[in-house]
Amino acid sequence: MAAATVSLEQIDWENPEQIGLWQDAWQRFRRNPIAVGGLIFVCLLVLDALLAPLLVTLHLIADPLKQNVANSYASFSLQHLLGTDYLGRDLLSRVMFGARISLAIGLTVQVIYLLIGGTIGLVSGYLGGRVDNLLMRFVDIWYAFPDLLFLLVVVAVFKPSLFVIFGAIGIIGWVDLARLIRGQVLSLKEKEFVEGARAAGSGPSKIILRHLLPNTLGPIIVSLTFGIPRAIFLEATLSYLGVGIPPPTPSWGIMIQDGYQAIFAYPHQVLVPALALAITMLSFSFIGDGLRDAIDPRMRR
Amino acid sequence: MAVAQGAPPRGALISFKIPRGRGASLGLYIVRRILWLVPVLFFVITITFVLMHLAPGSPWDREGKQLSAAVVRNLNAKYGLSDPFFVQYLRYLVNVVHFDFGLSFQYEDQPVSSLILKSWPPTAVIGALAFLMIVVFGIGIGVVAALRQNTWVDYIVVGFSTVGASTPAFVLGIILIIIFSVTLYRVTGGNFSLPTGDFALDQHLIMPVVTLSTLPIAFIARLTRASTLEVLRQDFVRTAWAKGLRERLVVTKHVLKNSLIPVVSALGPTFAVLITGSVIVESVFNIPGIGRAFVIAVGSRDYPMILATTILFSVVVALANLVVDLLYTAIDPRVRLG
Amino acid sequence: MDDSVARFRWLRVPALVTVVGLLVAACGTSSPTTSNLAKDQTLRVNIVTEPNSLDPGQEQYSYEGAVGASISEALLKIKPDLSDAAPATAASYSVSSDGLTWTFKIRSNAKWSDGKPVTGADFVYAWQRILDPRLAAPYADPFFDGTIAGAADYGSLDAVKDAAKIPAFLSGLGLSAPDASTFVVKLQAPSPFFKWIASLWMSAPVRKDVVDQYGSDKWSTSPTSLITNGQYKVSELVSKDHITLVPNTNYWGGQPTVTKIINYEISDDNQAYAKYLNGELDEVNVPLANTDLVKNDPKLKNEIKFVPQLTLFWMDFNTRKAPFDNKQARLAFSKAVDRNALTTNVLKGRSQPATFFIPKGMNGYRPDLGKSQDFDPAAAKTMLTQAVGDPSKITIDFLIRNITANKQIGEFIADQLQTNLGVKVNQVVIDSKTVTTRLRAHNYSLYVGGWGADYPDDQDWFDIWMTGSGNVFGGYSNPAYDALVKKADTESDAKKRQDDYDQAQKLLIDDAGGGFLYQRNYMFLVKPYVQGLTTTAQDFEDVGDWFWGKVSIAQH
Repeated sequence: MAAATVSLEQIDWENPEQIGLWQDAWQRFRRNPIAVGGLIFVCLLVLDALLAPLLVTLHLIADPLKQNVANSYASFSLQHLLGTDYLGRDLLSRVMFGARISLAIGLTVQVIYLLIGGTIGLVSGYLGGRVDNLLMRFVDIWYAFPDLLFLLVVVAVFKPSLFVIFGAIGIIGWVDLARLIRGQVLSLKEKEFVEGARAAGSGPSKIILRHLLPNTLGPIIVSLTFGIPRAIFLEATLSYLGVGIPPPTPSWGIMIQDGYQAIFAYPHQVLVPALALAITMLSFSFIGDGLRDAIDPRMRR
Repeated sequence: MAVAQGAPPRGALISFKIPRGRGASLGLYIVRRILWLVPVLFFVITITFVLMHLAPGSPWDREGKQLSAAVVRNLNAKYGLSDPFFVQYLRYLVNVVHFDFGLSFQYEDQPVSSLILKSWPPTAVIGALAFLMIVVFGIGIGVVAALRQNTWVDYIVVGFSTVGASTPAFVLGIILIIIFSVTLYRVTGGNFSLPTGDFALDQHLIMPVVTLSTLPIAFIARLTRASTLEVLRQDFVRTAWAKGLRERLVVTKHVLKNSLIPVVSALGPTFAVLITGSVIVESVFNIPGIGRAFVIAVGSRDYPMILATTILFSVVVALANLVVDLLYTAIDPRVRLG
Repeated sequence: MDDSVARFRWLRVPALVTVVGLLVAACGTSSPTTSNLAKDQTLRVNIVTEPNSLDPGQEQYSYEGAVGASISEALLKIKPDLSDAAPATAASYSVSSDGLTWTFKIRSNAKWSDGKPVTGADFVYAWQRILDPRLAAPYADPFFDGTIAGAADYGSLDAVKDAAKIPAFLSGLGLSAPDASTFVVKLQAPSPFFKWIASLWMSAPVRKDVVDQYGSDKWSTSPTSLITNGQYKVSELVSKDHITLVPNTNYWGGQPTVTKIINYEISDDNQAYAKYLNGELDEVNVPLANTDLVKNDPKLKNEIKFVPQLTLFWMDFNTRKAPFDNKQARLAFSKAVDRNALTTNVLKGRSQPATFFIPKGMNGYRPDLGKSQDFDPAAAKTMLTQAVGDPSKITIDFLIRNITANKQIGEFIADQLQTNLGVKVNQVVIDSKTVTTRLRAHNYSLYVGGWGADYPDDQDWFDIWMTGSGNVFGGYSNPAYDALVKKADTESDAKKRQDDYDQAQKLLIDDAGGGFLYQRNYMFLVKPYVQGLTTTAQDFEDVGDWFWGKVSIAQH
């Protein structure tokens, strides 16, 4: 174990040499074709999210809000590559626009999770004792709390808007991450390199940021890559419960919810957004795996 | 202990811990944690009570024809809703201490406790079965994949866990229904069809359990794999390998023990969620469970039912977390409870 | 039945009526021949939701009536074509010449499921119980709202504060049983529609000794204590799964052919549909999205059953708010919605367009009165501009309940208004209770509301638009309308009554109190071996559920 302690202590995260670490990581990431594939897809998605309105203006894709009820549930055609929905709106265009909401919700919510859950998990796990106990009881309360009720009240008090819904989802879902990180820290802080750092006189904040955080990165990244599609699902569930994104803005969650009604007659209505979601999820997972492998300091040898 | 080889002497840790925690026996610790439930429940009840009354809409609002004002007034009087908020709150607290959870608003006059006793068993059975699947398969395939990293076994597991975690439960459920209950009806002779009649432990539970457990299995498998890979790279494992210890020994004694910590930490909440019900799976398969009961209660503002379900939920979560923390010590004796 | 029932259904089961007067035709029954009967006479249907209660005093939703109609029998029962209320537990009834005293003669052979005879006292007890503020029966208003003598005080009695006054109030009601086979009701005012109230589920008798023995809240929760007087009785109650009915061997009207009815409680449309395809349900509501699939399926298309319902939907304009405080603006909004596209395309031909208020199947059905609301986008835009100025400066808050079907209709209507009028429409899709709260607080501009008949009498419909009614939120108020309806409600001359109602309907439509949209119809699949199905325009959760006693299962 002594070797590990030394090797970790050798990495100085504040030293300019650290840039070398991230360059190394990037090198390794680039050599991972699956991860790069995932990254490319996510980049395309971001491009799509940014450019979709422009594509409509240029008449490259149909207007996602344009109804033609006489042509509802249409099958694949040249005019509508993926067919149309229950109001005759172009499915392809709606999926492309749905990416905007879904990406935004997936990413924003992870940031909120990370900020709240990460802080509470790290502090709780590291300090232990009374603080840990208090924070974990707080987590218990939060966890036990009926999300639904909370969301209903939030939406009733504020008007249902993107901002409110993003915030509400972020605030209710950080608990799992907090517990996960706490578990990691609980085991890590007993490890020699932490003991060593402590013996060397490092303060708690330094130990948390320098030693514990980087070493919990693997599970955190895994958890976050799963967290993105879960946030997107949560958005769908919220729509179902009536506290979701207001129509007519298309989101994958709403499209899955709507398409589910037609699962017998027109399965592609639910499959198209579900696949979009699945592929996005897959890409984030690939990126997550690639990142974890690339930045894991212990792989540097 | 093999791990103790490189571990620092225990005494060195004492300075960082609250000495009281060191001295407390396991039994005392458990008792203390259970006593903690009282303030937790108090807060949960209080916040729920306030939020519930803040939420717009009264239990007597209807969607179409409205109840007449006289009827609403009589209903309020009957259920004590015409009293001031604080009186209602105190009365509820006093009743809860006496394990009286009140009468349901929606199911006229039925005690909430009996409604919960009716709807919880199906949820608990399906949840427990799903949890068993998750522990066995999730951890199992995760470890196997990590040990065989970058082989076809690993790719299959990664593929499954990725696809599995990207499939919404209701999509999986309805696809299963279409395949097994509709298309293959003749082949399966209705054996996989949805439960009709009394809820029972039979093959009808297969589809709900599979639907409920697929996503967590995928998640746990991924987590186990990631965390096992992490551990595999650590020096003490390398040392063990180098020393030529047999694979099984290395796996069980060294790797699993260390890699399971994040997994156990994720399993706790998973168990709590499963046992308290998945609304989506319960709806898709028409399972008369508590998850649906809760959503219906919120939708109809059935206050006593909302409160009772929330209390049940908090107790289960707190107990699940307690078990997780106890498991930490069992897996890794160096982790101490404070 | 009241429209709250519609929440699980509304906009979900619109169907098409192609021929005028189909109501009677839809009730087509094929008489069973005993030779081809199946051995197992079990009928399996879906009531969608678990009843909250099977106590006649507590029932209020259609999924409760669906079971209640078979197990509890009121004094009278609707005829399948809704032309009249026919004798049921009462063999006959007579009305005094002043229209104030109704005397019901109870059948001598009417018996409870435990074999005891049904008496007038059972009705007195049941009706007093509903008017007891301590029970707080949700559906008490048809009994106290202008009907039973002495019941008007219900509105001023508090269950707790006035507890001492309650016994006197109850004994002072115009309810009496001079002998075991007679039940007399005295009314406050002549009410030609009272025969319908006497056929509502809440008018069924309740046994005092049973309620006293098991408790008012408990007696209806177990098959052993649920002693009822209908053709069937409950044999099994499995929460959130099913309710099984078997024949009441003591029923006065003979034994039905079907010996077991299993009422499943399956909330998911598609799941119930799958069960039907599997042969696990004998009839099912067709999910909206599956309509075309079913219509084009060579086998299923022969199992389709369209049943028009006395349920109608409209745009509820908040007349307290601009621009809907302006009659011309309301009319313009109404003229801007293409009802044909709505019913044919969005609702897949499962409903019929309406620019009028009283649905087909009722006496007051007058489609010709709806001309002023006919679809005309060009005229609508001109009209709106003239009335309130530039439409593009108008923003409307459109309140929608968070039910998929409602959302789909809402999206269509919002698009119609935006496209045809150029106004901006904010769709506010929220939790149902929140919607009701906002409606009550008048915190909205537009909402799609509807009404389902409690009973097929015009009075039940016209009353809701009277000033101050709690069932239409928009605040429509026209003294001329109020006067006409008030006069018609108590008018015993049928012709005069109808004339007044027609005038009132014309006023309502031309004032655009509501922007009327469509009449809803059921589209069901029924297995060919289900014989003798007798449907009505007032069915609860399944087509034919008022008359399960007439059904038989053929060999298959």
